[in-house]
Amino acid sequence: MSDDIGQKKGLTRRGFLKSAGGVAAVAGMAAGGVAVGARDGLAAAGSMPKKWDQGYDVVVIGTGFAGLAAAIEAKNAGASVVVIDKMPVHGGNSIINGGDFCAPGTRLQKAAGVQDSPDLMYKDMMKAGLYLNNPELARILADNAGGALEWCEDYVGAKFTRLNFHGGHSVKRANQTVNASGSELVNKMLAKAKGLGVEVKTRTKMERMIANKDGRVVGVEVKTGYRYPDEKTGKTAYIKAGKAVILTSGGFSNDITLRQIQDPRLTEKFGSTNQPGATGEALLAACMAGAMDVQMDWIQLGPWTSPDEKGFGHVPLFCERLVGYGPMIDPATGKRFFKETGNRKERADAIILIGHPVIIMGDSYAVPKQVFPRALEKGLENGAIKKFDSLEALAKNYNIPLEAFQKEISRWNSFVEKKKDDDFGCMIFPEARPTVTPPFYAARLWPKVHHTMGGLVIDKNAQVFGFNLKPLKGLYAAGEVTGGIHGAVRLGGVAMADCIVFGRIAGKNAAKETAWG
Amino acid sequence: MTRKHGNIRFSPGWLFAAALAFGVLLVYIGTPYAAPKQVASAKAGDCAACHGQEKVFSPSHPDTKAMSYKDCLGCHAKGGPQMLQGKLPGSHLHQLRGVTCEKCHGKVAKPEAVEEKLCRTCHNAEKLVEKTAKVKPENPHTSPHYGTSLDCTLCHRQHAKSENYCNQCHKFNFVVP
Repeated sequence: MSDDIGQKKGLTRRGFLKSAGGVAAVAGMAAGGVAVGARDGLAAAGSMPKKWDQGYDVVVIGTGFAGLAAAIEAKNAGASVVVIDKMPVHGGNSIINGGDFCAPGTRLQKAAGVQDSPDLMYKDMMKAGLYLNNPELARILADNAGGALEWCEDYVGAKFTRLNFHGGHSVKRANQTVNASGSELVNKMLAKAKGLGVEVKTRTKMERMIANKDGRVVGVEVKTGYRYPDEKTGKTAYIKAGKAVILTSGGFSNDITLRQIQDPRLTEKFGSTNQPGATGEALLAACMAGAMDVQMDWIQLGPWTSPDEKGFGHVPLFCERLVGYGPMIDPATGKRFFKETGNRKERADAIILIGHPVIIMGDSYAVPKQVFPRALEKGLENGAIKKFDSLEALAKNYNIPLEAFQKEISRWNSFVEKKKDDDFGCMIFPEARPTVTPPFYAARLWPKVHHTMGGLVIDKNAQVFGFNLKPLKGLYAAGEVTGGIHGAVRLGGVAMADCIVFGRIAGKNAAKETAWG
Repeated sequence: MTRKHGNIRFSPGWLFAAALAFGVLLVYIGTPYAAPKQVASAKAGDCAACHGQEKVFSPSHPDTKAMSYKDCLGCHAKGGPQMLQGKLPGSHLHQLRGVTCEKCHGKVAKPEAVEEKLCRTCHNAEKLVEKTAKVKPENPHTSPHYGTSLDCTLCHRQHAKSENYCNQCHKFNFVVP
């Protein structure tokens, strides 16, 4: 030990603090201090820095749909804007989403002869949300979704070319991007923002919100050069937000600790369809600065995902095309257990109650007819979808009791023949045929965490609401980090509309704020 | 440190030294073995110049001191079972092919991390996409999400282990040089 000290004589205290261990230790102390201080009241978001390293009118956190929409609008309203993201890549979940944008009365709907209205979209959202939605916010979303889509097309230049249907909507209203990915919109928004002079900084992680003695949010402490997920990396810097901070950091589907606090069933047994950075620390940092959260335990699972592939994968596209054509089986009993065409929540809850993965299957009539060839090919290639020459082989592979299984398939086939399911009331489509033609295809299903409906409370101006029941000065939020808009269930395709509508509102209002100093 | 009647009394100086030693230990825990020296003037095949007498190769491996990348390929053909890609750090492959430290970092006493756009002066994104068009299950150099805009260093590291960034969400068995 003494030898070590002798050899490292040249090491100064300053040098030690600069080294990795030192920074982590100091950062740890600082974080501990914030957490304790947070219980003391609104101004507890920590002390003001001695000096700001950078300064902008508006600081946006997150480079997804909501953040970029906010940045563009704030910039166009005359504010200087920076957008930061902790990840090394831009786009968050938005850039891996399916590109479905629900809006009523669109060009694609008119071309397809679909009658729709903001009222109908609002009603669908409220019904799916079990009427727990904040009605004012849901109304704003439904009323402005059409205009938001037009803005994406006409101003941003994103192309939407296909009209899709999602469960829970009364009509086809999902306007899909030309490449079936949110990347079409994110990448064009990013180019637009940069062209306008918005600064975009990845690998920059918000560590805490900084509020002044009046509780007004005035900036953020960040780590620059942060290498996700290594918390030892990055250099502390302070960014002043002269007018406002806009939090668009997304949901927390990949935050096992936080989601398990909210919904104890959602242990590490559940994967997620989200990008790895979809964790809740930015949301919690806002809470520590006095922001209120709502409905955090309404967490959506997709019942169509497979435990045999990562992330969203290919099985959802296999499963969702087969429901109403083939049965869903519990391998432990060999029997069906739920209505295959039930909604996301009902089905996910049913599978979780069983406690182990179930099987979705189809025969060589249903599968080639229904499943997109690329999805089938890729699913077979990665092994999540399997092909069997006989029902016996399928049963053997999944350890299904054969006799019970064969009896159940006959029973299912009898329901398909008469187009009526006596057991669970599954919707059986007119072209469905009995499951008899080999080879048979099957995949295991186990729900994955997909969307967190809860989050920060915002008002109609996208300003965050505080625990003192007043708008929190200097803080706006939009997108999945906010809560209450969707209530119990967020309908498919409505997240994009939510992000663009409220991102734009947040950007415009943040730019209008009076500078604090 | 002073001793008095067999008890140990800690002076402020001793406490500081102990804290310092603990700090040094912390730093070392992060580095399980001593990092090799980085001798910019060393010939690419001269392992000992940087690694010292540490055993880099199995005893049966021929001496590489005078070898060039071409010589390596005699046994380690690209795409073959013994290929070097994915095994040697990227900086070594660069060195072996004549891209020395100085060509990226310049002639400086303390080399610093270079900007990623420097990679692209030699590695054209579009050409890479063409080159890896047939890689299964997907082309690693383009994606429906980011196109060709991603930073090379997300996967290809020169002085650390390379990684397969796609595998955060996917499961692609790429060999990442």
